[in-house]
Amino acid sequence: MVRRRRRQEKEAAPVAPAAAPPSSEDDEAPEELSFGTARAEAEAERKLVGEAARRHRELLKEKRRRRQELFAEQKRRKLLPEALLQELAAAPPARADERSPAAAPDKRPQGVSAKQNEGRIPGQVKKDKAGGTRSKGNYIAVHLKDENLTGLHQQTAKDFIHSQLYGPGTNRTSANEFFSIANKKDLVKKAAVQFVDKSWGLEKKQRATKFTKYWVARKVTNTL
Amino acid sequence: MGEFEVHRVRFFGLVPAGVRCMAYQHNGRRLALARTDGAVEVYNFAANYYMEKVSGGRERGGQGWRLFGAGLSGDITEYDLERLRPARAVDGFGGPIWSMAANNDGTRLAIGCEDGSVKLFQVVPGGGVQFEKNLDRQKGRVLCLSWHPSGTHLAAGSIDFIRVLDVHSGRTAQRIMVNCHVPKSKKRECVVWSIAFLSSGTVISSDSFGRVQFWDWERGTLQDSHTVSSSAALSLAVSEKEDSIVVGTSAGATYQFQLLPVKAGGQEKRWVRTKPFQHHTHDVRAVVHTPTALISGGLDAQLVIRPLMEKVQKKGYDAALRKFTLPHRRLVSCARKARLLLFQFSQHLELWRLGSTNKTGKDGETLPLSRMPEHLLQLKSKGPEHIYCSCVSPCGSWIAYSTASRFHLYRVQHEGDSISVKKVPGVPKLLLPAYQLLCASDSGRLFIASDRGSVHVVQLLEPGGCKHLHTLRPPAGTREAVYLLASSADGNWLAAVSGDWEVHVYSLKHFKHHCTVPTYSCAVTALAIHPTTNNLFISYSDQQLFEFSIPEKQYTAWSRAVQNSGLHKLWLERDSPITHIAFNPKNTSQVLLHDVYMLCVLDKSLPLPDDSAVLVNQSTLKQLSEPARRRQLHAFKICKKFQVGSPLLFADLLDERCLVTVERPALDISAQLPPPVQQKKFGT
Repeated sequence: MVRRRRRQEKEAAPVAPAAAPPSSEDDEAPEELSFGTARAEAEAERKLVGEAARRHRELLKEKRRRRQELFAEQKRRKLLPEALLQELAAAPPARADERSPAAAPDKRPQGVSAKQNEGRIPGQVKKDKAGGTRSKGNYIAVHLKDENLTGLHQQTAKDFIHSQLYGPGTNRTSANEFFSIANKKDLVKKAAVQFVDKSWGLEKKQRATKFTKYWVARKVTNTL
Repeated sequence: MGEFEVHRVRFFGLVPAGVRCMAYQHNGRRLALARTDGAVEVYNFAANYYMEKVSGGRERGGQGWRLFGAGLSGDITEYDLERLRPARAVDGFGGPIWSMAANNDGTRLAIGCEDGSVKLFQVVPGGGVQFEKNLDRQKGRVLCLSWHPSGTHLAAGSIDFIRVLDVHSGRTAQRIMVNCHVPKSKKRECVVWSIAFLSSGTVISSDSFGRVQFWDWERGTLQDSHTVSSSAALSLAVSEKEDSIVVGTSAGATYQFQLLPVKAGGQEKRWVRTKPFQHHTHDVRAVVHTPTALISGGLDAQLVIRPLMEKVQKKGYDAALRKFTLPHRRLVSCARKARLLLFQFSQHLELWRLGSTNKTGKDGETLPLSRMPEHLLQLKSKGPEHIYCSCVSPCGSWIAYSTASRFHLYRVQHEGDSISVKKVPGVPKLLLPAYQLLCASDSGRLFIASDRGSVHVVQLLEPGGCKHLHTLRPPAGTREAVYLLASSADGNWLAAVSGDWEVHVYSLKHFKHHCTVPTYSCAVTALAIHPTTNNLFISYSDQQLFEFSIPEKQYTAWSRAVQNSGLHKLWLERDSPITHIAFNPKNTSQVLLHDVYMLCVLDKSLPLPDDSAVLVNQSTLKQLSEPARRRQLHAFKICKKFQVGSPLLFADLLDERCLVTVERPALDISAQLPPPVQQKKFGT
């Protein structure tokens, strides 16, 4: 149906410019085309369109094939090499047997809790390996502590109180200023509470004391 | 008296935590106080405001007679006041709990949670609480709660609104918007910090704009509004008769409102703001209205008790303002022979060696130090619990401390100038919990005060071990824990005081109970056994002093003389209890006592002052001639240099020529407090 519409459009297209002149000059008749040439033209058009569609289909098929191959390749890469699998299957069948029922329920709660944890807190990192087969024991499965919501609630509550009491809009000042103003307004005027901040130049003072010790020691050794 | 070299120690960096909430028990006249670091203290008003019990824990906000606490951790904890620890905790399941209120009978407990729900719990007589039901839940955290005295309705304050809930049906009966009366330009969210429900149907709320508003809950209308300060009004308390309320603000001021008739003798009454007080420098987060006094506790770690003049019956020292900042317990232990001091903080211990000087000088001179005091060791305690008690042995080689659930013992080796610490393994489990620790004077034994009035005696073995020798128990059992211990210098006697105020003396040679001191009506604040005469010196919280002879099992003659003549009026009117008693090894009749503001040497051989004599006469005596001095000399020699700005935490006699005093200047504490609200003063 699409093809028919396209043909109609294509047929309408040459008709339209042919129709245009009748709009400008109404008395001229449309161009004469013989049936054979028209048929040949239509055939050519049909073939072109068919070719295009076929090429399009081929392209899609090619893409699909390539994707399938990619998946097959990935699946093959994911599994261990054939030789290793056979060796494991053959060598300790007893150990694999008793471990697999233990591994299966083990895997399940971890898998379920992994989903839960990821659902609740997406940023958490889980380190355990899901997998029924084990290599010689060169890993550690760690179940990290659950970060439950009470900690977050408490933090929100504390932040609320802090912002209400000490946030912007509350008229807070430092303890130093508060008591210093009281000292200045007193009957007997006193110095500010932290007149000298002890942390000023702390590094310099430490270096100075070290240097003095070193200099004195040198003097002593020189004189001796 | 003699000359002493005084080591004035000011490097104990104690900053007490702010007071977060209080609960008052009317019958027993006790006040329970919770601090911002989670410690709970109980003050006994009948025993002259003595701080009885302390326990450490986490951040909370609380209530109760059986004491309940609830905090931002989301669970309701009941405290066992005999064993001084949290007994059981029930999860509220509503997120952090912001407020808790008990109804008048004490049968139900309502909690307001972070998620906006109000939950009711039944108080189970045997112990603990049980969930009853959930009341109507609305969006917005419930910051404060108050029961109607009849127990039928609850008022809950949130952000921007107050609602009144019907307890029986659980529905919201009325919802009042609090933020409507502020002009649009200044509209911020209005946090209702505290609320009270009167039996007349008036709901009183205090909010973050500094307003105290009176609402009629049935109609939902505002009856009266007072703007009390420009910063938030944080706490509210109503008296029992409902004619007076006290409001605490963020600026440290407290105001009293009273219901007074408009015209004298008229019927119509209105709430009028009557008295402003400025006792605190920081936020007042908890207030309590007792029948005779207003009690406020602030973030500057002060507890202020202001008696109301019109309610005070007799004119006495009862009518004076009392301020408590420093705890009434001993936080410093002294190792006399090794000259070490152990400071107990809430989460760690510090061991310092005292400095020394090799100069001498005259009275009042400051001598230069040849060796500075050294900070030898800092021991951090693991876990969130506070360190309850600690001690260091006189030779300085053993340190023991205890939290509410664990006991630790360390062996300290001094090698020249450096020290090494090793934990002693294998401490017997039955020693938990320890309420007081004391090392014997020969450093061979450790006495551990435990619950039910029992004291464990543990032998300290040399290379680093301990062995439990015996457990001493009082003859008639008691449920309270022992909180004070004293041992004699020869190692034969041990005195123990338990929470029911009984003093028991045990013989350590035979490990049995020797005698009991006759009961007195007050709590014991300090006791000590004299090294040579084996007399037990006891000081009580009403400032009485007694001397009991252990070998003779009766009060000494001096003690009877003191009781007959009575102590000086000024001595009895001191408001802080004596926390430590020490003896002069050279002079058997001299006793060193100290409380927060003074140091006193009591000479038993001198006559006692009567009420007409001047009690503090040391400065006058210095100027008098020898015969005049002999006439005016009396037994109490008091040094009051510590009164202004530098309270005394600990004082002890190291040997016959050396005194050590640990002071805590109030300015140092103030400099480390959280930021206060700025007070705009004219000209600054």
